Amino acid sequence: MAYVATRGGEKAIQRAEQLYRALNGAFDADFVRAIERHMPYLMDRVMGEGSLYAPEMAALALAQAGGDLYEAVLLLRAYRSTLPRLAYAEPVDDEALLAVRRVSAAFKDIPGGQILGPTLDYSHRILTTQVLDNGHEASRPEPEAAEKPAPTNYPSVSGWHRLTGLMTRMEEHEPPDPAELPDVTREPIVFPASREHRLQSISRADTGGILALGYAGMRGYGLTHPTVNEVKLAYADVRLRHPITGAVFSAGRIRVTHTEVVSTSADGLELGFAATMGWNEVKTIAAAMLDMEMSKPEPHPAHTEEFVLYHTEPVEASGFCIHFKLPHYVTFNSALDSIRRVRSRREGGNRLQQMIQTAVKEKAS
Amino acid sequence: MTPSETVAELAHPRQDYSYAFLDEFAKRELRRRILKAIAIPGYQVPYASREMPIARGWGTGGLQVTLSLVGPGDVVKVIDQGDDESVNAANLRRFIARMAGVETTSDTLEATLIQSRHRIPEEQLREGQALILQVPIPEPLRWVQPSVAKTREMHADADYALMWLVLYEQLVRFGEFVTGASYPVIVHRRYLMTPSPIPRWDTPKLHQAAHLTILSAGREKRLYAVPPYTDVYPIEFDDVHFSVERQTEGVCQMTGVSHKYMNEIPQPDGSSRYVLSDTSFADKLLKQKRGERVTIGEIYFDDKGNFYHAGYLKS
Repeated sequence: MAYVATRGGEKAIQRAEQLYRALNGAFDADFVRAIERHMPYLMDRVMGEGSLYAPEMAALALAQAGGDLYEAVLLLRAYRSTLPRLAYAEPVDDEALLAVRRVSAAFKDIPGGQILGPTLDYSHRILTTQVLDNGHEASRPEPEAAEKPAPTNYPSVSGWHRLTGLMTRMEEHEPPDPAELPDVTREPIVFPASREHRLQSISRADTGGILALGYAGMRGYGLTHPTVNEVKLAYADVRLRHPITGAVFSAGRIRVTHTEVVSTSADGLELGFAATMGWNEVKTIAAAMLDMEMSKPEPHPAHTEEFVLYHTEPVEASGFCIHFKLPHYVTFNSALDSIRRVRSRREGGNRLQQMIQTAVKEKAS
Repeated sequence: MTPSETVAELAHPRQDYSYAFLDEFAKRELRRRILKAIAIPGYQVPYASREMPIARGWGTGGLQVTLSLVGPGDVVKVIDQGDDESVNAANLRRFIARMAGVETTSDTLEATLIQSRHRIPEEQLREGQALILQVPIPEPLRWVQPSVAKTREMHADADYALMWLVLYEQLVRFGEFVTGASYPVIVHRRYLMTPSPIPRWDTPKLHQAAHLTILSAGREKRLYAVPPYTDVYPIEFDDVHFSVERQTEGVCQMTGVSHKYMNEIPQPDGSSRYVLSDTSFADKLLKQKRGERVTIGEIYFDDKGNFYHAGYLKS
């Protein structure tokens, strides 16, 4: 018999995983710590998309996945699923963020000042090959402290627009109870989505996906040329209320990125906003632009809320894409059945035509 | 009882995961959604859908339903393309067994919960059994309307006109219906439903079935159900009828049976051979051939290809 069934599935998958691990080599706690210490932007990306701020676990996920970003994010998300929700942090006011970098493209100077902070924006992108030759970097100067230290907090730029009437003022309201906020990880998203679900979704969205859709809008599909009102890299205090004493205390600080873009219409300024855990400027600029696009009455089809939020979900998109490797021979066979039926019907049709033609000829002769 | 000295001694011993992996809140949510789905046959119920430790699109929806239903007394069967030993079926089965400590089986008759991708077994399921189908795209209207917001409205209005148009276009272009797997059905005379991508051969098995079917799409965050003894009819015209895949030519190379859903195995000379898609059923037939004791259940399609609900299939 020519047919050899692929059986013994459990053994096969165990061996396949062993082979993968053997090829990638072993890793240890020191390696995990090294990733955590030396790859902060990689960590930020995995924690942001994994929507879990746990540097140690993110570094472990990266080590375990051999650096595969989608696998690392999936590992972190699956771990996150198992964690209980112990408490809700107090809302973070953007003016209370401990900013290390904040720039605005809208004005030459802004209240609080432009602070370049730590960035490679104006560096020359040249590989430092001397590290390979000498085994270490050339000595580099320690950054000098400024004569006048930069402030830690900054007034919001959009606050200034609102004060001056360029932008619609926000209604005064009590700060929301965090436990009452819609949570996209605990309830399904339906469209039109709540503001909370939208911002949560883009906060944990795939950086590459958000960039692709955002760039399409910037380049010409939808054609917005947003002005970056404010980009802020900061530390946010995670403030919790003590369950017994009621006192608010800081449980630690996390790195966050906060971005506002504005579009200029004759009616006034319209705001697009995005924030994420970790420092990831490219993602939040593209996301803030998409936020603005999604709010338009008739967005470009690729910038509707449903299109953007569904297709930039990293775990869903990557998982579905790789699922096509799974066997599909049952459905494939079903499709073949349809093709063959149609074929035989068409051939049958031709035969029928032939019979008619023959009959017509016979009658004529 | 001696007084404890440290908090660590007082605390519950560290546990990596809850029973059946999902925490109790997630299970409660899923069970409530399942009850709603049973109450409104064929209606897609949105649910939160937790990230699972397997990739999205690989059965996370079915897995969450199975894990929210499974208890220590259950016997679990997992199949993919009809095969218990298919690699992804094997992986899901070992995960369920590891997290819930349940007995597993390949025997359709022994199982209380059957999680499946793309197939319903050839042996008839009975009352008390639950079939959990993994679903990639839960929306039957996706092909005519990609927006979920819009299809929700269409379902609310039972506005399925575009689907009839699709059928009509197929007739005009090809002379017959050409939808392969996931042929759309109307459940309980109300909701249009896509029966996961099971082949048309398996679609009639949902009609007035003794068992409960739950269909779950983890990535798309929707689940729906066909309760026992519910009407399920494929969409068709009065004069042009739904039909199952032709299973008249294939004779299983291992068991010699025909009129069952077959895997086609291409041969180097351009011909094809056939083997049963339902491997558990095939194993039983082989055992019977060898004279071993084996219980084979009632089957949906007899040796002449007649379906057990006489008159249900019109062509």
